Amino acid sequence: MEFMHKFGLQPSLFLFQIINFLIMMFILKKFLFSPLKKIFNERKYKIEQSLQDIENAKIILENANKKKYDILQEAKDNSEILTATAKASIKAMKEQSIFDAKNCYEQIIDDAKQKAEAEFENMNKQLGKISVDISEKIISKVLSNLFTDDEKQILTSRALEKMHEKITN
Amino acid sequence: MHLRPEVLFFVAGFPITNTVVATIITDVIIIMIVVILSKVIAIAPGNIQNVIETVVDYFNKTAEEIAGERAVFIYPWITSFFIFILISNLVAQFPGFETIKFRPTFNDGNEVSFFRAATSDLNVTLALSVISIIVTNYLGIRYKGIKAYARRFLSFKIFPVFLFVGILEFTNEFTKIISFSFRLFGNILAGEKVLMTMYKLLPIGFPLPFMMLELMVAIVQAVVFSMLTMVFMHIMTDKSH
Repeated sequence: MEFMHKFGLQPSLFLFQIINFLIMMFILKKFLFSPLKKIFNERKYKIEQSLQDIENAKIILENANKKKYDILQEAKDNSEILTATAKASIKAMKEQSIFDAKNCYEQIIDDAKQKAEAEFENMNKQLGKISVDISEKIISKVLSNLFTDDEKQILTSRALEKMHEKITN
Repeated sequence: MHLRPEVLFFVAGFPITNTVVATIITDVIIIMIVVILSKVIAIAPGNIQNVIETVVDYFNKTAEEIAGERAVFIYPWITSFFIFILISNLVAQFPGFETIKFRPTFNDGNEVSFFRAATSDLNVTLALSVISIIVTNYLGIRYKGIKAYARRFLSFKIFPVFLFVGILEFTNEFTKIISFSFRLFGNILAGEKVLMTMYKLLPIGFPLPFMMLELMVAIVQAVVFSMLTMVFMHIMTDKSH
């Protein structure tokens, strides 16, 4: 009893403190810990959700990268095929062009040769005609002094005939 | 300053002591914290929420680390003990505590302090200790079952060794109450006495380092009380013990 008095222990105060703490504990638990726990769980859920989203995004990114790589690979393959085809067709076109040009060039040369030959023949004929005319004039001038007109006529015509034959042969 | 709290007045026969006033201030502060937090609570915490979350989360995690799934029942108790004791201890550092005097009508005109730290009253510390030990034993019965719980105190294995151990365990429960209550009571009362002495020696500047020390004591004592409660609860509820 003396101890209780010395330390001021009183049943009413002791009970008051017990009830007071229990009420405070109830208030804290109900209005502080529970909402905080809810917030913790919500936050945890959101963090987990975000981590899951990150994982999903990672997978999507990996797939996209793979797809991109596949597309690039396919494009590369296609471009190689196209390049090879283009090279082959260019080569074929080049060869065709060279061949055509060669043909054309030969054709032109042949034509030119033929034309030159024809020209040459024509020139020969004209030259023969000119020389016949000149000869005719020379002969008629030379013979006019030696023969009569009839003889001259006969000789001239004979000479001309002979020359004609020579030229035509 | 006495060991016992001073009665200021009576309300319907109930003595209102200076420690009861401090207890009511503590209650008001706790309720204010709860009200403020319930208004500002959000997933992205603000300053107040951050502080309270840190405390609650620390005790929650510590209880989980020590007691596992039993932490669900343990952590509200230890966190409540911590918050209540911490605020009670810190409130005692407010200006006016022990210095504002009151002259009760029934006390032969002797002046008494109007405010005194709640935890410097043995009624408060004893009440907290008794709650702690009763809840600890209740949890022991709940988790281990009444038989296993009773075997802790009354066992005839290797007679009379375990019977003696049981008696020691039984005595230990009362020792816990005494150690819990007197540790907290003694530390806070001694702190207040030291501060009062320093105020009397040199009121300006001189008590400041001691106030800092008292702040530390306030936190340490709150932590010690809650941590010991947690350890006792864990030991009592653990089936391997």
